[in-house]
Amino acid sequence: MATNDKLIEVTDLKKYYNKGAIKALDGITADFYRGDVAVIIGPSGSGKSTFLRSLNLMEEPTGGSILFDGVDITKKKVRDASGRMVRLDIDKHRQKMGMVFQHFNLFPHKTILENMTLAPIQVKKIDRAAAEEKAIALLRRVGLEYRASAYPIQLSGGQKQRVAIVRALMMEPEVMLFDEPTSALDPEMVGEVLDVMRELAREGMTMIVVTHEMGFAREVGNRVLFMADGRLLEENEPRELFDHPRHPRLQDFLSKVL
Amino acid sequence: MDSFIQLANFSKIAPYGRLFWQGMAVTVLLSFFTVAIGFVLALLLATMRLSKVYPLGFLGTDREGRLRDGGVLLTLSRFNPLSFLATAYVELLRSTPVIVQVFIIYYGVFGALVTLPKFTIFGFVKFERFFPGVVALGMNSGAYLCEIIRSGIQSIDGGQTEAARSLGMTQGQNMRFIILPQAIKNILPAIANEFVVIIKESAITYTIGVQDIMSAVNAVRGATFIIIEPLLVATAIYFCLCFPTSKLIAYFERRMSRGDKR
Repeated sequence: MATNDKLIEVTDLKKYYNKGAIKALDGITADFYRGDVAVIIGPSGSGKSTFLRSLNLMEEPTGGSILFDGVDITKKKVRDASGRMVRLDIDKHRQKMGMVFQHFNLFPHKTILENMTLAPIQVKKIDRAAAEEKAIALLRRVGLEYRASAYPIQLSGGQKQRVAIVRALMMEPEVMLFDEPTSALDPEMVGEVLDVMRELAREGMTMIVVTHEMGFAREVGNRVLFMADGRLLEENEPRELFDHPRHPRLQDFLSKVL
Repeated sequence: MDSFIQLANFSKIAPYGRLFWQGMAVTVLLSFFTVAIGFVLALLLATMRLSKVYPLGFLGTDREGRLRDGGVLLTLSRFNPLSFLATAYVELLRSTPVIVQVFIIYYGVFGALVTLPKFTIFGFVKFERFFPGVVALGMNSGAYLCEIIRSGIQSIDGGQTEAARSLGMTQGQNMRFIILPQAIKNILPAIANEFVVIIKESAITYTIGVQDIMSAVNAVRGATFIIIEPLLVATAIYFCLCFPTSKLIAYFERRMSRGDKR
């Protein structure tokens, strides 16, 4: 499904803590194309989550640039269509980047339906009836239609994460960012979440996934990126990367996890 | 031999019943406006305290755009005037007695600086005394409520903000729809406590001539030389105001805890 249509262009992205003593991201350069299912793997502390979270500016990078649809979202001001400098509206860009978190982050004071319709109604100004209809349709797809009026606390971890995914889909994003979506789940619930993600990939959604699920990376991803120490050390199509790892750090990592 | 309480005295003070009713109305109005002013002020103060506005932020980076290692410039770059002002206000108000604040507002601000028009509302609320009382109490409770609200906001998991912002919500929408509803639920017991404290603390305004319940007690004492029985009436009125208030808020607390454990 991958295309040649460049969606995100990351150049020399840096994220330093403690005045550069800690380099969470030490100059990452990577492109993501529409239709990509890019899986980012690496040992813990390698900066893969920081990298993903930088893509929608949940983390503010120290340096480098991120072009999303041709707009550098790391800049405070950008040139608009008529050539004037205007303040960059990061909220507008974030709408196009759905994000799924390790700990789901559903809104506990809202029902499942309200969780899903809040942003479309308030941000996109879609009317309530249309938003609810859309939410129910999405819930049906992940088999949770009957949970629409429940509160998040009543759901299992796997159900919560499926809701979190469709909540992000409600905004009709151009890319979905997954930050270790199955790491907080009980083992028997990992499958149901991966199934939803697999389905999403099949439909052609552009996805960037940080995960420890090597099976998923191999089967669903069209590209795998290996990170360590804040650097992108190797990138390849999954079979090649898993079967013929070149970088010693990757060989070492795979020998531990496979 | 005189007993502590004489039933006969209650009938002697009965003709002054109207004073107590009016006093109660004044106390309720006073508390209501105090809470309103205090809450709005507290929201403003809490927003200021949690703001991230660093007008001197540019001093913190060197010419190449890297963060400095330390020194005066780095310290200056972290200066947040809004947060500083709000913190100074809160600490000042929390570290001085209410009666001093009430006197400063009444004799200082509205005695010397601003002249208030003299008129009465409902025939018994003297505006030129009531208004300074409300302002002083509102400013005071604003400081306390600010700290309650700030702690409530900070108690909400950062993941909630991340989820809201990742959906494209602005910081304002995040506050309004996600953070504040959860924060207020968490701090409701503390707010209820503060409301009850305001009702009781409003008694202090009788020292600047606000005709509240305590002032009724004094008026009756002046006219009849009876003291214990009016105080008991005042006790009963204050209790009847405070107890239902805390119960009412406890009810809302239960209603808002939908979505918690069940």
